[in-house]
Amino acid sequence: MMTVEDVKRTDRGPALMLANEAVVRGALEADVKVVAFYPGSPVSEILDTFGEVLDHFQDYKMQIAANEKVALETVAGASMAGMRSFTSMKSVGMNVASDSMFSIGYTGLNAGCVCLIADDPYAHSSQSEQDGRYFGEAAYVPMLEPSTAQEALDMTKWAFEVSEKFKTLVIIRTTTRVNHQRGMVDLGKLDRKPFKKKKWKDVKGQYFTVGPVARRLKGELLDKTAKIKKDFKTSEFNKVVPGKGSVGVLTAGVCFLHTKEAMDNLELDLPVFKLGTLFPLPEEKLADFIRPLSTLIVIEELTPYLETRLAALAQTINPSLNIIGKRSGHFSEMLEYNVPIVEKVLAEVTDKKVSLDYDAVLRKAEKLKEILPERPPIFCPGCPHRGTIWAFRQALQQLRIRDNIVFNNDIGCYSMAFLPPNEFSDSMLAMGASLGVSAGMELALEDKVIAMVGDSTLYHAALPGIVNLIHHNSNVTLFVLDNSVTAMTGQQFNPNSPYDAGGHPARKINMEKMFEALGSDKIVIIDPYETRDCIGSIKEAIEADGFNVIISRRECALYGDREKKKRGDKIIPSENVKDTCKGIYACVREFYCPAITIDESDAKMVIQRDLCDGCLECRQVCPVDAPRHVEVKK
Amino acid sequence: MSSKDTFNIMFAGVGGQGLMLLSAILGKAAVDTGLKVKTGEQHGLSQRQGSIYVHFRIGDPISPLIPYGKADMMIAMEATEALRYVEYLKEDGVVIMSNRIMPSVTETKNVALDKEKKTKYLTVDQIVERLEQVTKNVVLLDSLALAIQAGNARTENSVLVGATVACADFPIPAEEVRKAVLALVPPKTVQANSRAFDLGREAGRVCLET
Repeated sequence: MMTVEDVKRTDRGPALMLANEAVVRGALEADVKVVAFYPGSPVSEILDTFGEVLDHFQDYKMQIAANEKVALETVAGASMAGMRSFTSMKSVGMNVASDSMFSIGYTGLNAGCVCLIADDPYAHSSQSEQDGRYFGEAAYVPMLEPSTAQEALDMTKWAFEVSEKFKTLVIIRTTTRVNHQRGMVDLGKLDRKPFKKKKWKDVKGQYFTVGPVARRLKGELLDKTAKIKKDFKTSEFNKVVPGKGSVGVLTAGVCFLHTKEAMDNLELDLPVFKLGTLFPLPEEKLADFIRPLSTLIVIEELTPYLETRLAALAQTINPSLNIIGKRSGHFSEMLEYNVPIVEKVLAEVTDKKVSLDYDAVLRKAEKLKEILPERPPIFCPGCPHRGTIWAFRQALQQLRIRDNIVFNNDIGCYSMAFLPPNEFSDSMLAMGASLGVSAGMELALEDKVIAMVGDSTLYHAALPGIVNLIHHNSNVTLFVLDNSVTAMTGQQFNPNSPYDAGGHPARKINMEKMFEALGSDKIVIIDPYETRDCIGSIKEAIEADGFNVIISRRECALYGDREKKKRGDKIIPSENVKDTCKGIYACVREFYCPAITIDESDAKMVIQRDLCDGCLECRQVCPVDAPRHVEVKK
Repeated sequence: MSSKDTFNIMFAGVGGQGLMLLSAILGKAAVDTGLKVKTGEQHGLSQRQGSIYVHFRIGDPISPLIPYGKADMMIAMEATEALRYVEYLKEDGVVIMSNRIMPSVTETKNVALDKEKKTKYLTVDQIVERLEQVTKNVVLLDSLALAIQAGNARTENSVLVGATVACADFPIPAEEVRKAVLALVPPKTVQANSRAFDLGREAGRVCLET
């Protein structure tokens, strides 16, 4: 796409870029040399963009890491070795990486090292509305927050400077609405230096922390933090937008944009403190801002991170300051904000009338939409998970044990098993958690314990849980859905692929040999496209004692279709043979394939050819084998 | 300039229909004209046939999200998706929509399992009737038929883009939009896309003038 071309441009000037692409551009302008990532929404496009331009630049190294902790350690290692490095991860990715991140805070680093973490208010594509802003303060690692694509680029470059000056990791914190915002960006100078390995003796430092060393480093860390705070006081990213009156606003990130637009709509001219550094906070500058105010409106999504700190600051600076925020009941700690939400509060506090009766608009829309059918998230046409989960449920039904099992699901497209038509999953917490949860349930329950992970989740965080189960002689059956790629985030490669970033060759881990070496009692491989045949194998694996693994192997349909297109293979769609079809609707009831619809004239199922992937899983589900491939004209 | 001089377009469609390309085309056209653009896009989970949208703002936008009731235009590649985001549509705004309906699986289930066969799929007429309670400016296009007429069934998006320039307030000059379309579609399909653009433009003109 055109924006990747913009990432490569050597001239300076305006470009329309996704903020995630602007981050890549910023890191490239800062001459980043090593990048490593595990994909996750809303930052997957950072990984994808770096991968797409890897061969164009050929002057930085990139790896798709097994998980976010490995990715952070990889870029930390490169920084210790004197190379500028960068990683990004979604909110919960930092939970995995934070073990090392806290130590990195103490040891410090060498060359510029930047980590972007993206929170997801509204939990668009995450398991929680986690507020990652506390990581900076908790680990004494500086944290910045941009509002726009331009700031995302500028802050990324600046983060490298801060990192290098203070020999510290720097975190950039974003939210989904910043990452997936496309806006105008002024490209800066792209001055890439060739990649050249260094010698440890030329760059070496000491990077360990424990006991007395940790205590010494902690003291140094506090001094370092004080110095960074002083620097941040004068940063252009902490700016006051002047205004009139004694009511002021403090905000950051995307909320700054909602606030500015809401003020425009209300023709308001309040002074606004636009915060760019979440940690350390520029307290002196904030104190100067709140000193003359009667009321401070704090506009931030999720927890009252800024509000709490400003309330503490106001106690000494301006004790009578009236703070409008979450604790006053004006704003919610839930979901994401937008212009109407901010405008309503600003209007109320300043006694103005909103520019439009948004509530009336929403009420009317809700009424108009009453006839609208839901379009719930479902598996794509051709998705192998559809067949695996169907066969799994058939096996339980045939064994008559549906009510005597517990099914611990994990993170991936297959998480959708908890939605209709399956509505089938007893737990789903975090990457690889199904194994640990299964260990506890197996101790505490009479029922058969069954877990499920995808190939990417397997190598990301499930391995310790698997080793633990095998070591403890657990009776747990594990499904591994091997679809070749990390499907949900955009089909990136993982240790189960013979490729790495940019399609470069890598070594594929041999899954069955690994399970064998670990001591699994039974390993069966099934093909979910041969859906009916899977049932018997699944029954055996569930019934047998021990740690049994069912590897359901078939590539992700989106990935597979792209590969087919590259090879020039045609996708042959299927049709429902209406003379054979008895209107049993097993395909409709139990399968939820978007290519399957009903012909209202005869009430028979009809397959939408332009959507159909030709997998024929529906034929496997059909008691009378009505679906078949269309005949291809020779 | 302020956000009030911004022309807001809400894109709606179903995953796999090429909404992101459509947004890229108008983005290029606007930038090449010297206009500023800001979008709020939905990338989320990789999945086909889900409901998707793009908030697309031209002029001097500030927030990436269009406030409710302030979209000057809605471009819907699938009819039910036009109604799904109706809260963003301005009173008397313009809706450019395909008459194509891709039924959701839950609707199919309801239709199939109704023993009396009384449950029917939602129709385009029902949707348009609802949209017309917000605006009379609904441009309903048989985008597939026009695409086939243009010589390539896969040029439906160009039909819809063509109709946008028939709208009097549309801020990007028609020829810039056409140039962007032709620059971003596969080279082999340039002629068909150009015809599709014209057919969409003409259909939009007829509809908005009457």
